[in-house]
Amino acid sequence: MAVDIGRFIKAPEYNITIITYRDVFQAAVCEEDRFGSEYQDLSAVIILDAAQMKHMGITEGSNVRLTSKHGSVVVKTRASPQQEQKNIGFMVNSPWSNALVSVDISDGFPGYKHIEVTIAVSKEEITSQR
Amino acid sequence: MSDITTWICTGCALLCEDIQVYTTNGQIEKVEHACIMGKSRLTGCKHTAKPMIDHNDVTVDKAISQAANILKNAHNPVLYGWGNSTSQAQIAGIELARVLNAVIDSTSSFCQGITINEILQGQIPSCTLEEVREKADVILYWGADPMSSHPRHLSRYSYFPRGDMRQHGYEEDRKAIAIDVRQSRTAKICKDMFYRIPPGSDLEFMKALSDALDGKVPKLSFDMDIKRLLELATLLKKCEFGVIFAGLGLVYSIKEDIHILSGLISKLNELSDFSLIPMVGHFNMRGFNHNLFNETGYIHKVKFTDKGPVSGVEYSIIEQLKGNADAILVIGSDPLASLPGALSKRMEDIPLILIDPCENLTTRAADVTIPCIASGIEEGGTAYRMDGEIIELSPFIQSKGMSDEMIIQRIIKEIN
Amino acid sequence: MTSVMEIYQLLPKTNCKECNESTCMAFAVALLSGSRQYTECPPLIKDDKYHNSRIKLEEILKPIQGAEETGLIVHEELCSGCGNCVVACPVNVANDPHGSGRGFGPTNEKVIFRVIDGKVKAANIEECRRFGKNRIMCNACIDPCPTEAIEFV
Ligand code: SF4
Ligand code: SF4
Ligand code: SF4
Repeated sequence: MAVDIGRFIKAPEYNITIITYRDVFQAAVCEEDRFGSEYQDLSAVIILDAAQMKHMGITEGSNVRLTSKHGSVVVKTRASPQQEQKNIGFMVNSPWSNALVSVDISDGFPGYKHIEVTIAVSKEEITSQR
Repeated sequence: MSDITTWICTGCALLCEDIQVYTTNGQIEKVEHACIMGKSRLTGCKHTAKPMIDHNDVTVDKAISQAANILKNAHNPVLYGWGNSTSQAQIAGIELARVLNAVIDSTSSFCQGITINEILQGQIPSCTLEEVREKADVILYWGADPMSSHPRHLSRYSYFPRGDMRQHGYEEDRKAIAIDVRQSRTAKICKDMFYRIPPGSDLEFMKALSDALDGKVPKLSFDMDIKRLLELATLLKKCEFGVIFAGLGLVYSIKEDIHILSGLISKLNELSDFSLIPMVGHFNMRGFNHNLFNETGYIHKVKFTDKGPVSGVEYSIIEQLKGNADAILVIGSDPLASLPGALSKRMEDIPLILIDPCENLTTRAADVTIPCIASGIEEGGTAYRMDGEIIELSPFIQSKGMSDEMIIQRIIKEIN
Repeated sequence: MTSVMEIYQLLPKTNCKECNESTCMAFAVALLSGSRQYTECPPLIKDDKYHNSRIKLEEILKPIQGAEETGLIVHEELCSGCGNCVVACPVNVANDPHGSGRGFGPTNEKVIFRVIDGKVKAANIEECRRFGKNRIMCNACIDPCPTEAIEFV
């Protein structure tokens, strides 16, 4: 079942899968100042294949809304310096990626490494932590 | 004149033991050899936790009594966290679970628990990091990116150092291989020994690799030169001492099919000598599994009952938060930030007690907050390194506050 | 890595010689080596039409200003303190075989790389294999760096 947000969004939506990963700089900042803007800058980001971004009409650095069955957040986009597999986005583990993660599971493993979302360009501000 | 102390870093489960901390009058001036994560761990957080009940400042004593009350009155309390606690605090926590007939679990139920269990059950051979340094000639990072999670992994043990049997260092004596869905920082270092696979295809790759090891023609449904796979199989066959570092990428791809991984490793052991080490994150995450195993025979997802401890997926933190839990004690963890957002609401709804040195996202949902001092910095004890070695921590700062272990002991006393 | 051409493109390219170099290209080479400052080009400073070039030059030359004499730069903001360069540099290994050579933090002062406060610091650069009479194109610190934090200019 898709979340009915279509009436708020004009930009085209695409389906992608997000895979989360870890980043040492973000982890270090988290340790020292988990509420600071640097933590948000390093966390609320999705990395996409450059060619695919172009195809989706997303310019690097613009904001996008990511929506899954479980939640929705606005984050910044960044183009990957290397070529990535199609329809895959990468996000650092953080409250932003976790907002989208599924718990419709029975084995105790949330869907951290496989998050299905729709992505659409957004003019909204980046979602704040709370 | 500054004093120099050797510190064992609690920044991650590598527990680097060579850190030099320079202090003057108790103030840290400089730290040598720690990576940026270790340095941040030592610096500590900007926002420290304060004793609170319902977001109002109280004394620590009051907060502890309130925590004891909540736990005593709950029907199904859950004790969760433990990766950033010493073994002594973990053992106290297990005692608390016993007293309460509570559920106790850690992140390992959706993390490295399955690999650690196989090792503890003797299904997968493991080795120490020192053995890796002295002997390993083939190192396989599978769904793991230590350069981003354990920064000194490659320089301390797994790739760069010269070892007794690897005197020429990495250039000539070691081969590092990465299997991952993305070209991680670790994969970059592995250069042409990076095998990129589509998300979720680890099992397929594993089976194909196993066929290649058997001399059969491997088949893959995705785009990869079979020659490269055969090349990998040959390398693994020829190696003298191989190690697989299993990351979350691998764990999430195999889950209950862990026996396929065990199978591959026993096959490799017929041909050469292979071990596996799980890429455990928090400094004593592995300790929780060992300590609980020693006490109950289970490594996680445990519920204490009048008839003794039981374990099962229904006692995992995720299933508990979806269902039964009616109070939760969180220790050294930030579940509101690290668990799926879909569970936040539930955590906000049930009574939540938080024991942590720092304010975090979970603080905002906590009904009771009890600050503790930093394990391994202000309080000693032991911890299990990622390879299962027991390490004695080296606190060097004297603090007035209470350790998490002391807090748990106090809660137990108040309950009894 | 900044190239001579990149710098040259930002200069007036008039070969006016006011900087006392024979050509703008020669001045660019001097800028890259760090022996001259871009502020020593009078037209660039005086003429407002070069405003953007000045800003760009300032930016790309900044790391060079910070370079040690031998041209080694560590971009600290990129460094995670992983110690790969510490353990891989042949000078570190030769001068501290039981410390750096074995994967530990350096145990003496004779090494080139050492991690302080989570970031690598370079010293004793004169020992670097890229310099001196028997120089070689050593890459042992650049290659293992996961974040391209080390460069030679
Ligand atoms: S690798 Fe881990 S244990 Fe070693 S210094 Fe870094 S954070 Fe500390
Ligand atoms: S170029 Fe070679 S000798 Fe020079 S600092 Fe780098 S690794 Fe050391
Ligand atoms: S290899 Fe790179 S990131 Fe690692 S310590 Fe050296 S400069 Fe820093």
